[in-house]
Amino acid sequence: MGSTSAFSRRAALRGLGLSLGLPLLPSLATKSVRAASAETSNIPRRMAFIFVPNGVHVPDWTPQQTGFGYELPFTLQPLAGVRESVSVLSGLTHDRGRANGDGAGDHARSASVFLTGSQPRKTDGANIRSGISVDQIGAQKLGHLTRFPSLELGCERGQGAGNCDSGYSCAYSSNISWASSSMPVGKEVDPRLAFERLFAGGKKSDVDASQGQRLALRRSILDYVADDAKTLQTKLSGNDQRKMDEYLTSVREIERRVERSRLSNDAVLPNHGIEYPVPQGVPSDYAEHMRLMCDMVVLAFQTDSTRIATLMFANAGSNRPYKNLDVPDGHHELSHHGGDARKHAKIRKINQFHIAQLAYLLQRLRSIPEGDGTLLDHSMICYGSGLSDGDRHNHDNLPLLLCGGGGGEITSGRHIRYEGETPVCNLFLSMLDIMGAPTDWMGDSTGRLSGLKV
Amino acid sequence: MFSNAGHHSVTKIVSCGLAIAFAVAIGSASRSLVAQDLAAQAPVSQTAFADTIVPFMENHCTMCHGESDGEGGVNLASLSSAEAIRSNTELWETVIRLVSERQMPPSDEVQPGDEEIASLVKAVHSELAAIDCAGVSAPGRVTIRRLNRAEYNNTIRDLLGVDFRPADDFPADDVGNGFDNIGDVLSMPTLLLEKYLGAAEQIVDRVWLDIELRERIYSSLPDEPVAKVEAIRVAFRKFADRAFRRPVGDEEFARLFRVMEFAFSQGASEEQILKTGIQAVLVSPHFLFRAESDQGEGAVDGIRPLSDWELATRLSYFLWSSMPDETLFELARSGQLHEPQTLIQQVERMLDDVKSRALVDNFAGQWLQLRELSRLTPDAEKFPQFDDALRQSMRRETELFFETLLKEDRSILEFLNADFSFVNQRLANHYGIEGVEGDEFQRIGLGAGRRGVLTQASILMLTSNPTRTSPVKRGKWVLENILGEPPPPPPAGVVQLEEGAEVLGTLRERMEQHRTNPTCASCHKRMDTIGFGLENFDPIGAWRSEDGKQSIDPSGDLGGGVTFAGPAELMEILLEQKSEAFARCLAKKMLTYALGRGVTSSDRCAVNTIMDDLQKNDYRFQTLVKGIVLSEPFLYRQAKDKE
Repeated sequence: MGSTSAFSRRAALRGLGLSLGLPLLPSLATKSVRAASAETSNIPRRMAFIFVPNGVHVPDWTPQQTGFGYELPFTLQPLAGVRESVSVLSGLTHDRGRANGDGAGDHARSASVFLTGSQPRKTDGANIRSGISVDQIGAQKLGHLTRFPSLELGCERGQGAGNCDSGYSCAYSSNISWASSSMPVGKEVDPRLAFERLFAGGKKSDVDASQGQRLALRRSILDYVADDAKTLQTKLSGNDQRKMDEYLTSVREIERRVERSRLSNDAVLPNHGIEYPVPQGVPSDYAEHMRLMCDMVVLAFQTDSTRIATLMFANAGSNRPYKNLDVPDGHHELSHHGGDARKHAKIRKINQFHIAQLAYLLQRLRSIPEGDGTLLDHSMICYGSGLSDGDRHNHDNLPLLLCGGGGGEITSGRHIRYEGETPVCNLFLSMLDIMGAPTDWMGDSTGRLSGLKV
Repeated sequence: MFSNAGHHSVTKIVSCGLAIAFAVAIGSASRSLVAQDLAAQAPVSQTAFADTIVPFMENHCTMCHGESDGEGGVNLASLSSAEAIRSNTELWETVIRLVSERQMPPSDEVQPGDEEIASLVKAVHSELAAIDCAGVSAPGRVTIRRLNRAEYNNTIRDLLGVDFRPADDFPADDVGNGFDNIGDVLSMPTLLLEKYLGAAEQIVDRVWLDIELRERIYSSLPDEPVAKVEAIRVAFRKFADRAFRRPVGDEEFARLFRVMEFAFSQGASEEQILKTGIQAVLVSPHFLFRAESDQGEGAVDGIRPLSDWELATRLSYFLWSSMPDETLFELARSGQLHEPQTLIQQVERMLDDVKSRALVDNFAGQWLQLRELSRLTPDAEKFPQFDDALRQSMRRETELFFETLLKEDRSILEFLNADFSFVNQRLANHYGIEGVEGDEFQRIGLGAGRRGVLTQASILMLTSNPTRTSPVKRGKWVLENILGEPPPPPPAGVVQLEEGAEVLGTLRERMEQHRTNPTCASCHKRMDTIGFGLENFDPIGAWRSEDGKQSIDPSGDLGGGVTFAGPAELMEILLEQKSEAFARCLAKKMLTYALGRGVTSSDRCAVNTIMDDLQKNDYRFQTLVKGIVLSEPFLYRQAKDKE
């Protein structure tokens, strides 16, 4: 069911696009890039990235054996039911998360480097600088195919005061998606707002004749403000001009979206036969919060509202206690375990708890049939932390999982050990290839990551 | 590196001699005073530079801080002339502070002798003192500022009369320099612009539901079509003037009006047309950003005074986090606002206004990090008495305390040693104070143990972990936020000390490791000592004399014969020895907040002027606020970006 409606809707969109003189959408975008079955190749591929803070307890994370059929370590045990869709990637490194002369601040760097592979500039004021992130590279290449180029979600708002870590701006700790080297993409933490953003006007009854006029007026407002920004820009210089650039970029992005929703009539959920209750704000239960955010990713992928998502289960350096796990200590505080076995035990509980939410996401994706497989088969979920051990603050041998089949391009269910110092960005290049958005390099990449498919 | 040092110094001296000569030769007419000063002082300070500063750096500093990626990001080897000290005064003040406190070089390195330190400090001081504040003008440049969430809510409230805080659903504003109103950091992601569009629709819908609010913008429109359009035009222009916080230009207004004409051409209803115009204003960059043009009038050497309209906006967002009111607009219209006497009167009027509560919420809330309280969850088993009511009371105490010092124009030094505070029954019980009943807060005199803001439960809790206190966090917090003397970050690769848990010995005994490891000792000595001085307060700020089975020892030795027996004495020491450091720290934080940019070396003269005023006026709080408003960086703008 999902696949037919998704496909026919895209076909309809494409037809409309042509008749309205919009740029021709690449025909069934990525067919040429891969050699999968005809059926599979019609189905879009999706990718999501999930960040967890403070590293992990490595001995309980890394499997002893490599290849298929490895024994699930304690932390990964919640994945037992979906293990054939999960690969553990060991040995990958984010060199640009290291100090490289910038001193302390590994937590802030662990988030800002996570998807960018770029050394953040040490500043808690002007001139924040990192690099474009893998999801945004994909979004800029593929975003025109869906109503939203990408979706950015989290479970903790950005911190409200202070520099967040040893002189690094809070922007580094609370964002993993960067649209450019100077512009982190804000994230939504309220599931209700995320839902409304994705599916506002999602009920057929909302779509009436006045909709067209409303959109036309919205367009005229956007035209006006874009004009205004351009006029204003001529009177400004330096950073001021860059701020107006950001504004204009956002205006253009919304203009495109207004155009797209005019074409699609917007009744997204009913069109897919999906019933989902509108979430009621941020739930007090943290697990529930994470699962709702996972649901948003699933719904967005299922309805092809976007193909790219990022989700921060918590911000870098999060010091949240986990009372539900009988862990009253703050997570960050605990991560400085100093080799204390009791702290290790608490840390791995937290790690496992996060993994259980990932398992929920994977099961949800797997429950949705698509083509001759499931939504999970056509997705890539990259899960991990930008720190390896929270006490050592090391950025090599990062805990990373790659889940889902990538439309047949990934042979999952394995533990792959890569040579030390292999850049995480090599994995990202490979993922972008699979998405049909190949790029020559990003961050500190040195090439593609081999061995994802056997 | 080290072996080359001699060679380096030779080339440095030669090249900087040349640089000075060059500077004198090309000194422009308008800056000839500066050039003459340089010429007069250069030989003397250049000698001190070559004889004292360069050798000290080479003997004690550049081995670690000698590369572009030097330890802690500090590079002291690029120092090519005395001029370099003047151009980075912040760094050099930190250098002499850390050296004279013997925090640097680390105690496992060769230590400079007392005389060596004294002559370094003297040489750097004379270099800093040679900066001619009268001759050089450097107001700095504030990047265009987007309204942050608080400012957006307040501005909508004051512009349209609807107070439903639409920005509470917006993504959090990023923080730079400790505040969320910093132009460079505030970005405009698509998600946010989408929220602005949605909020604009909601806002006009609400305005239209309320006849009174609607008529504030469009009152009694005539029926006759031509007259009606004219009336709309006039009313809408008035609205746009207020929303953009300045008179809107003719051509600019014509473009704005075209949005309504377009709506008309689309067959929209009258209501829809009028609403569309207001929506356009509410998402215009002129509304969402506080722009200060590079093309303003009166520029001399690229520096211009702000227009009265721009000044009204700076003033109102500083003190109210909102748009100017009619009084400020009127003073801008008549061109009087920039007169110092007028500015002082306006500051007094605005601080009296209830809207100045914004300064407590947004400045104090971030300087003292009170906003963070809502994120903290002390361990429920250890602290069953803690609940949300207590959390709110803690925050309210510190807010009331700040507000009182400000409104009663008391000495800011009372942040360190006030013997009064504010409690309701809940907080009084928490503090063990008797005789306070009800939810209302009342002013009370404090008993022996508590003095000033550092002994308030709010600060004590936000510097603790969920299950226990952290003397390191508390000490570091005091150094960073109260004294403005942040400790340098730990060197890369340092092993974290086991601070928590129930290992043998008291927390203090375990922390003594910080002293025995020379790499840690140089900084932790002060940090930990201050933190331990506050150990009588548990993680939620209640008084205690024991921690588990261990009895608390709140005494400390800050070195140089300065000792204290407990928290109250510690506060007295801070007051006696650190008044100026504290005042300077608060002044810089408030200047940062007022300007929306980080304070840099070029603001040194402005900060010194503010400090002089403060000292002459018994450190009165409103003297500080007025000093900021009358400072050069607040009143002027460097017109073109240097880049």
